Amino acid sequence: MSPAMEIKLSRASRVYRPSEPLEGKIIVKSTSSVSHYGIRLTVNGSVSMKVRGGSAGIIESLVGAVKPITIVSKSIEVKPSGKIASGTTEIPFSMMIRQSGDDNHERFYETFHGANISIQYLLTADVMRGYLHKPLSTTMEFIVESDKAELLERPVSPEMVIFYITQDTQKHPLLPELKAGGFRVTGRIPTLCSLSDPISGELVVETSVVPIQSIDVHLLRIESILSGERIVTETSLVQSTQIADGDVCRNMTLPIYVILPRLLTCPTSLAGPFSIEFKASIVITFESQLSKTHPKSDPRTPRLWMAMETLPLELIRTR
Amino acid sequence: MEFRARDYKAESEAHALPRKRADGDPLSAPAVDIVEDKGEEFFDPLREPNSNVVGSLDTEDDIGHPSVVVSTEVPGQENAKREWTSFKRFLMQRFPVSKMVSISAMSDGILRSGKGYEKLSMSTDPDELDDSQKFSEEGIRSIARQEYISRLKEFKEKFADAWQSGDRVTSLKLAIKVAKLLTDTSVGQFYPTLFVLATDIMEMLGDMVWERVKQKAEYAEDGTFLCSLPASFRADDVGLDAKETCNNWFCKIGSVKELLPRIYLELALLPCWRFLVDQPIDSIQRLVMMARGVADPLACSYCRLYIARCAQKLPSVDTGMIHLVSIASSGLRKLLESAVVEFGLGNTEAHGSNPSISIIVHNLIKELPVDMVNSKTIDIINLIECCNDYTLDQCLNYRLLGFRLSESKYSLHIVTVVDRVIRVVSQKDMLDEYLKVVDAYVDLIFQNHMDDHLVKILDGISKRICNKGMVGDELACLQSILVKLLSHFKNLEDIFSLNHFLEILDMMYGRSRMIVNMHILDKATRGGLICDPTTIQLLFEVSQALNDSIDQVNVRDEDLQQPARMISRFIDKVSYGADRERHLAFLVECRRAFGSTNELKETLVHSSNSLAVKALIERKNHLDFLKSCIAFSEVTISSVTALVRQLKLYLETAEVALLGGLVSHSDGLVQSAISCMQSVDLVDVSRGPTDADETLNFLQKICGFLIILPGNPEKGAVYTPKSLFALLNSQSWMTPRMRARICCAMISLSATLSQKNLPYHASKSGIPSNDILFYGNSAYFGELVSFSEEVVRKLVDAIKQEPSPVARGSMALEACNCIALSFKVS
Repeated sequence: MSPAMEIKLSRASRVYRPSEPLEGKIIVKSTSSVSHYGIRLTVNGSVSMKVRGGSAGIIESLVGAVKPITIVSKSIEVKPSGKIASGTTEIPFSMMIRQSGDDNHERFYETFHGANISIQYLLTADVMRGYLHKPLSTTMEFIVESDKAELLERPVSPEMVIFYITQDTQKHPLLPELKAGGFRVTGRIPTLCSLSDPISGELVVETSVVPIQSIDVHLLRIESILSGERIVTETSLVQSTQIADGDVCRNMTLPIYVILPRLLTCPTSLAGPFSIEFKASIVITFESQLSKTHPKSDPRTPRLWMAMETLPLELIRTR
Repeated sequence: MEFRARDYKAESEAHALPRKRADGDPLSAPAVDIVEDKGEEFFDPLREPNSNVVGSLDTEDDIGHPSVVVSTEVPGQENAKREWTSFKRFLMQRFPVSKMVSISAMSDGILRSGKGYEKLSMSTDPDELDDSQKFSEEGIRSIARQEYISRLKEFKEKFADAWQSGDRVTSLKLAIKVAKLLTDTSVGQFYPTLFVLATDIMEMLGDMVWERVKQKAEYAEDGTFLCSLPASFRADDVGLDAKETCNNWFCKIGSVKELLPRIYLELALLPCWRFLVDQPIDSIQRLVMMARGVADPLACSYCRLYIARCAQKLPSVDTGMIHLVSIASSGLRKLLESAVVEFGLGNTEAHGSNPSISIIVHNLIKELPVDMVNSKTIDIINLIECCNDYTLDQCLNYRLLGFRLSESKYSLHIVTVVDRVIRVVSQKDMLDEYLKVVDAYVDLIFQNHMDDHLVKILDGISKRICNKGMVGDELACLQSILVKLLSHFKNLEDIFSLNHFLEILDMMYGRSRMIVNMHILDKATRGGLICDPTTIQLLFEVSQALNDSIDQVNVRDEDLQQPARMISRFIDKVSYGADRERHLAFLVECRRAFGSTNELKETLVHSSNSLAVKALIERKNHLDFLKSCIAFSEVTISSVTALVRQLKLYLETAEVALLGGLVSHSDGLVQSAISCMQSVDLVDVSRGPTDADETLNFLQKICGFLIILPGNPEKGAVYTPKSLFALLNSQSWMTPRMRARICCAMISLSATLSQKNLPYHASKSGIPSNDILFYGNSAYFGELVSFSEEVVRKLVDAIKQEPSPVARGSMALEACNCIALSFKVS
């Protein structure tokens, strides 16, 4: 049986800050002793981007990817050449992610898994065993969050914006009965929100002649990539959260409470080569025979039986 | 033919059983001993309900009986748990479900889970999209109830298995799937069952996550023991790792798109908030708010019910949280009730701008345990006071509160509450509202001896009636109040002397008045004799009104009998003491008033007869009075329409007359009875065997009476028997058997009249009896013999007419017996 290796980080959450040492252990399980030329650990952090869709040129769409940006690439030797005894061996390690003495190094963006942009940090352990044996290697992702020192204090009062949605605020065509009957939904939602807090606001259906089928809050991400001379921007849906199911009472305050999904969100960042922004979209779906013929559709597409309001949402990491 | 001579005295002595004096009364003394002896040994289920047996029943029936719990942690939670368990059982039983459950597209999760189903009907197009399209075409499908339940159980098993094998993602997915099923309320009656089964799985999830996070907090990753969390731990006691895990769970649940399943899942994990924060109550408040987003009233109400249930799991749930939820957290059923009500009202009530709270308050009051109503009376009344919206009339809430308070024996705040309610209600001008509320509090007022309130109430009622009269509901309410009042007072005079009582009674009408009147009479006739002339007069008026209402109100026969019986009882109980003339005058008055009712006339005749007998016993100036009594009876009898009754009354009166020595009166009455029979309507008598039997009985009895009634010397001694006999010929409806029996009776009569000593005499009347008048008179004998010869012939004829041989045989035997007893063998 060939030896097996895995990395176990000190934190189950796998969340580390750039200034903190990345700690853990390499566990090797083997039925026989393994001699090696050294055990190395490598940290790789990068922003990978891809450009899809018709907005890109032919060549770009064929290539699909923009050259990734390296955030960090660092390697250390955990153990010099030697022998690992048979059975289970644990090799503890501790390494600084941030390169020492290099103050204006590339910024450590937080881990993010988007549709086109992916910010990922990988930790790889390698056991070199010469040419006769296959080297042992294992990789695991860890999550980087901004340093506490760099963080803002929790916003004392989150910036709330008051919105109202009526038949007149809609830019797309509406069903005639909606247009004629009218509706008014108002509420408050933050435009600045800490990643560790839920988006919490409220919403009131004041009037609506046509019965409401559902009210949802969609969390959208806007990824922009500098591709050549152009900026390619794509908006995609991260998460939908239903606030009202059915024709709810009028003039009742309904809470908006959306927990931000981890990894799929990160602090709003506007870097040179790319940017990641977020928006919250409140979508009211009215009951309509027409909607039944389109059972599944992208919630962002304006339809005759929908009304919506999209508001920018700045996400920040707080202490 | 010759009559056999009889010596009745000797015969009776010869046939009598030997008599012996008994030592004691066999019915009294020893019986007492037996009861005392066995009292200990056998168990009488109706006696002593305070024994152990009931106690042991209590422990089984845990609904609303939070008996002593041996609890390790928080006793309140143990109780809540037990209450919840029994409540779930109740839910499942209360809503029986038909075999098939209809479901809509929302529940397709349940269909796709079963492999069998896919094989059956999904084989053609198992694609998910097609599946949901199918749903939208057909709208609603159905699935066997048993299948649905077994699917859910399957889910539960899969869920537990996945968790055991460490596949928590699958477990969570399954739990989400189950929670989503709760959005489909088209299952109708099945929803409660679904709710119970689904929340079971939610509860499992909650417990498992709790255990897992707790383990993380208590043990390091390598299994070393870190610390033991105390029962009342704080968020600070929990390590980062455990917090992280817990937070993760909430994040995962937060990513569920649909509102209702998200709420249920968070509720399932609710206790886990304790690992993160010290005030998990805030979450409850948010969840309560979030539940407003569920528009379906049924789904929403069940969801709130589950919120209430889950709130109980948190330690130190403050009852002062939200007013409604505070009450909700200790009782459970009412939320469900409000669900049903809201369901009935549908969405329409939700569109208004006012919060529709009255109706919910109503259902709360209705379903709260009595102890709770008692201890929170002041809160509840404050609540009622502040919610007055269109969903429910406020006074109905006051009314309900009153009824709930009456359920228990005592209450702390009763006086304050009654004072407050009466104050509030006295500002209401509408009679209807006034009565509805007051009705609920009358009992409380009596129980607590708040007599001045009673005065106020009667005053209030009469004032409001004077303004506007009464209609249907108000009458019914007033009826209920008055009936309560009647049952409270011991003495009828006290009630009559209440201010406004009679006035109010006078303004009532229809059925309600009838019922109140009946209660009054019932009350009056329960006690002893009624002697007070004013009371008699009032009751007479009440009876009169009651009697009149029989005519007005369209009532069924059995309804009609009841008031008549009441009035008869009243007439029976009336007493003027020695003033018999006054009493007779009263009877005359009654006859005028109740002349339309047969039963009452009968009572009147009985009363006048008994008056006559009483006068006879006293023997003072009785003759004239006796005559007036007999005359009263005679006139009254003639107007009774039921034949048999009429006959009996004639005979009774004839007996009384004979007792008083009024032979000619007595004779006249018998003649009247006979002529009455002659004029009988055939159809009327042949109605049924009972009437025929009674007629026969009467005829036999009259034969017996004729023995002591002296024969009429002018018309001939056998005149009356002869006219009886003539009756036989004229009444063609009589059966041969009846004829035979009557003939036998007449033969016996003739034979008896021929004796030297009659077997019995009219006692003490001083009238010469038949034996003294006629014995030895040969013409008399001849008459008797020829009469009985005629009768015997008739008897033979009658027997011959009987078609059935068996009946004929027994009739012949009877006849032989009679003839052999009456005549000498020649």
